[in-house]
Amino acid sequence: MTTPIIQTANLRKTYMLGKVPVEALVGVDLRIEKGDFLAILGPSGSGKSTLLNIIGALDKSTDGKVFIEGVDISTLHDNGLADLRRKIGFVFQFFNLIPRLTARGNVELTMAILGLSKKERKKRATELLESVGLKERINHKPAELSGGERQRVAIARALANNPKFLLMDEPTGNIDSKTAHEIMELVNRLNKKRGMTTVVITHDKNIASQAGRIVHMADGLIVQEEVN
Amino acid sequence: MNISDVFSYAFGAIKLRKLRAGLTTLGVIIGIAAIVALLSISQGLQITITDQLQTGFATDTLIVSTGGGLGMNPGAMTAVESDFELLVNYTKIIDEIENVEMSTAVIQKLCNLNSTEGELTVTIVGVDFAKYANIYSSTFVAERGETPLDPDNETVVVGKLVSDPGDNGTLLFDVNDAIEIIWTPSLYQVKTYTGHVTAVLKEIGGFGIGPSDFSVYIPISQAQSFFGTDECDQIIVQLENDDKTTIESVSEAIDEAFSDQVSVVSSIAVLDIMSSVFSTVELFLAGIAAISLLVAGIGIMNIMIVSLMERTREIGILKALGMKSRTVLSIFLSEAVIVGLMGAIFGIASGWVLANVVARVFSGGGPFGMSGGNQAATVGGMTITPVLTPTVLIGSLAFGVVISVVFAIYPAWQASRRKPVDALRYE
Repeated sequence: MTTPIIQTANLRKTYMLGKVPVEALVGVDLRIEKGDFLAILGPSGSGKSTLLNIIGALDKSTDGKVFIEGVDISTLHDNGLADLRRKIGFVFQFFNLIPRLTARGNVELTMAILGLSKKERKKRATELLESVGLKERINHKPAELSGGERQRVAIARALANNPKFLLMDEPTGNIDSKTAHEIMELVNRLNKKRGMTTVVITHDKNIASQAGRIVHMADGLIVQEEVN
Repeated sequence: MNISDVFSYAFGAIKLRKLRAGLTTLGVIIGIAAIVALLSISQGLQITITDQLQTGFATDTLIVSTGGGLGMNPGAMTAVESDFELLVNYTKIIDEIENVEMSTAVIQKLCNLNSTEGELTVTIVGVDFAKYANIYSSTFVAERGETPLDPDNETVVVGKLVSDPGDNGTLLFDVNDAIEIIWTPSLYQVKTYTGHVTAVLKEIGGFGIGPSDFSVYIPISQAQSFFGTDECDQIIVQLENDDKTTIESVSEAIDEAFSDQVSVVSSIAVLDIMSSVFSTVELFLAGIAAISLLVAGIGIMNIMIVSLMERTREIGILKALGMKSRTVLSIFLSEAVIVGLMGAIFGIASGWVLANVVARVFSGGGPFGMSGGNQAATVGGMTITPVLTPTVLIGSLAFGVVISVVFAIYPAWQASRRKPVDALRYE
């Protein structure tokens, strides 16, 4: 049996909402293999975003373990986590682009953090933006782009560092359904053609149905799993 | 992320908030400009005064007087009361001391001159013309007429501003004019001395020790009989050289010869006093300017805290993309470096302009100008040229940067420590 790309064991997360402790995750065991296209489906408050943030090294668990390619990340410190995040592609519901940078600037930023040369950054950013269908919008700032276009920039940015897997937090939550469909097609293509391991969290069944595997979450637990 | 990327990212962030960055920078500009202006003027002034002292006070002379007066402005300073009398013939005692080339006594009294323009109060100085001219060879020089080495009883030499008090070409006394000196030793006694002008000295300026533009010189023997005294105000001692050891040993020997009842002032001592006065003044001025920089620093910190709060989400994004905390820190510190550097550069430039403007104002017949209408910047007859030393230049540049960085450290450090998930969630 091969090492899974992502694995969690009895993952727990409790955080304080004022003085009230809230149990966001109450023991999640999840195994994601290389090349998987997984959707995590659940209502808001079910803990799916918390799970994604911990897998993506944006947040730390209270208890339990997370293994990325067999390495336990709960022991990593600040710098180690930053290094790990460089190997992960994030796509957020609200795009999270830097407003003052152009589409290409945003994509280049990821590579600047990695320390790639200016020439290389420019070339690769242009290629990536072309591949997500934004050839004509390269020098536009986020404010000059539509929601769908912004999300494409975010996807191009997520791919810029050749990530081991993509983590998408409600990627279509803030765009119209037609554009959402196009975005999901793009994600599907990435998964099929490039074998990009992808985890999408959503509360939309239509979006989830495009994934190969669907995990249902409720009250901080995985309650059901299905394979398409 | 390499350093040029860090700086270009920081620069981009500053450009986005031009007005805010401009106002932050303004705080630094004002502080640095104040430091540069104050220091360059005070250094210019120091150089001017030191130059004048050195011209007026040859380095190889000592001035012996009773009490503690420096005798910098003859007649203006009165010696401390003492029973001890410094007599004209004490020069003989001083001449015996090793390393003394010669010495000469000076008698000074305030008198009036009658002129067509009314009465003029001047200092009458009785000197040995030959020795005095020898010691003050650069300042006791005639512009018109001659300063006789062997003067007759009627010989009178006048300073430039006695001849031309308005400094405008209207001469009250010129060579060959008769001159009447009126001395009022007491309320009921008036004595008159008559002579004729044989020379008008060239302009000396400032307040050099020795000859002055406001003095009238007569032979010392005449002064002794006119004032009815053998007591002199100063004995000027010409040394064989200006070595520090010579100056010290002769000073000690003179002190000893007169049982410590005289004060001996050397050029070195005067320069020492002047420079210690100037360092105190400079320190005081720099302190005031530093306070304004401190205020600027607090402004920087305040603005940094506010703008980092606004940029919390951006910090979250950068961290999600894998940026390390120290890189986030260095981005925000770079912004502070840019603000500090810009502030320092513009501050130095405006400080320099300010210093020159102030120097000009002094010359333009302003409240402090003495010789109105003159193009040179003068205070009491002195020209100030602001001086920007490399130390001040580099110091203010560094100070501007350091102040902004120091005050940015705390907010930047806090920003860099934010957990990415919290930063991303920040509304």
